[in-house]
Amino acid sequence: MLRKMAAFLIRDFQVEVSYPFAFVWQWGSILFNLTTFYFLGRLLAGAAAPYLGPYGGGYFPFVFVGLALAAFQDVGLSAVSQTISYGMYTGTLEAMLLTPTSISTIVFSSVLYQFFSALLTILVYVGFGAGFFGVALGQANLPAAAVLLLLALTAHLPLGILSASFILVFKRGDPFTVILGKLTILLAGVYFPLQVLPHWVQTISWLLPFTHALEGLRQAVLLGQGLRAVAPQIAILLGFTVLLLPLSLAAFAWAVRQAKRLGTLSQF
Amino acid sequence: MAAPAVAVSALSKYFPQVDLRRLFPGHRSRGVWALRGVEFALEPGESLCIVGPNGSGKTTLIKLVATIISPTRGRILIHGRDTAGAPAAARRALGFVSCNEDSFYGRLTGRQNLAFFARLHNLNPVRAIPPVAEVLNLAPYLDYRFYTYSTGIKRRLDIARGILHQPNILIMDEPTANLDPIAAADLRQLLLGFQEQGKTLLTVTHRLEEARQLGRTLAVMVQGRLRKISPEEGEDLDDLYRRTVLEGDDHAS
Repeated sequence: MLRKMAAFLIRDFQVEVSYPFAFVWQWGSILFNLTTFYFLGRLLAGAAAPYLGPYGGGYFPFVFVGLALAAFQDVGLSAVSQTISYGMYTGTLEAMLLTPTSISTIVFSSVLYQFFSALLTILVYVGFGAGFFGVALGQANLPAAAVLLLLALTAHLPLGILSASFILVFKRGDPFTVILGKLTILLAGVYFPLQVLPHWVQTISWLLPFTHALEGLRQAVLLGQGLRAVAPQIAILLGFTVLLLPLSLAAFAWAVRQAKRLGTLSQF
Repeated sequence: MAAPAVAVSALSKYFPQVDLRRLFPGHRSRGVWALRGVEFALEPGESLCIVGPNGSGKTTLIKLVATIISPTRGRILIHGRDTAGAPAAARRALGFVSCNEDSFYGRLTGRQNLAFFARLHNLNPVRAIPPVAEVLNLAPYLDYRFYTYSTGIKRRLDIARGILHQPNILIMDEPTANLDPIAAADLRQLLLGFQEQGKTLLTVTHRLEEARQLGRTLAVMVQGRLRKISPEEGEDLDDLYRRTVLEGDDHAS
């Protein structure tokens, strides 16, 4: 099992570094992104203060945590479906399935590299945020932040697996990544606090796992709240994971059986 | 007595067409029967070459044996074990050469590609790759990126991937397609070498002379049905094939 997980990690790293400019640029683009929001934060300094009080008052630290977690959430939502799409398109999925490797190993191992890459992305965000833009992170509660990050991934991974299942059977038109991804960015409070949204829209926001992950992470990072204070968010993310993970794996196994029945495992 | 290396019985495959109109009353799915009641057995070390017109079901048959697709009816036994119940055991015994060049990672080197698939077979790449590379004369090319290879090298790498785990059954889909005559002849020699080592070969090809060279047993797939043929000494294989496909004849069983 470990050898197989290592196989995926090594493969994805080798593919990534084979495009050296893109490999370097992904970190550079974070700096540009943060710079934009830094100056936007200065522009909004007074106007946004009433909404940002619960998060320490500053716009830049608020959006900084949102941007970092959005990169992480993207792994859970899109990594599996991207891997499966590529594998179907090229035939590499069929080649992998010719080895004694289970579908679940392929699914989980396929996101490993992107998971570590997203962790590194968060560290780069933290480094740039603290180093260049003076975001104070000394008060951050690291254990609470780590638990919330992990649960943010496990709560979103089932949605990514459902997305991959959809692609296996219907090939295109996956509603999970596109709609949920856009909805999350719009409604979960990445760029602005939920309080600016109409009340009924806020109700929808709280149905998204990302909203809870982001709320908890801001509490832990910006206000230094510990595990006890973010327990409600942890419980909700755990609930999403426990409910959706078995369901998504069952859906994926069914989708593979369908693709084998229809003979479309390597068609796109 | 040992079980046959491959035993296929009453194998049929129906490809349903996904059609949303099927949800409405009065609309029936229009699918295709790709295989109808195929039966054959291969003893260890035996070699079966299947020829047949395009769309006759050859590739479907070998993909079923390789567990890539699932049968509608019938059974496939690999060394006596049903592939439906033990697909992982079947995959350990089988090597599949798909001849799909895209099923490799173009940005990775040949060695990196082989190492990935070796690990998926629970093998140590450092030990698994060199003997295979030597047999296929791949060693000088392994550290170049896959996309730089010629079709011949890509095909050899495909075979290398298929035999990394030293399977005793090798399944190949048109192994010499798109190869120049010299590369094709070299590859046939290599495959004959596998036969001499006692490997069981199941090969699909469009080249009749190649089929005669590689297959101790020959079969023609016609409209999803497999007909074994036994050309007599000096008999024109083209003629026998044509008659089997178009009319069927005394040689068909």
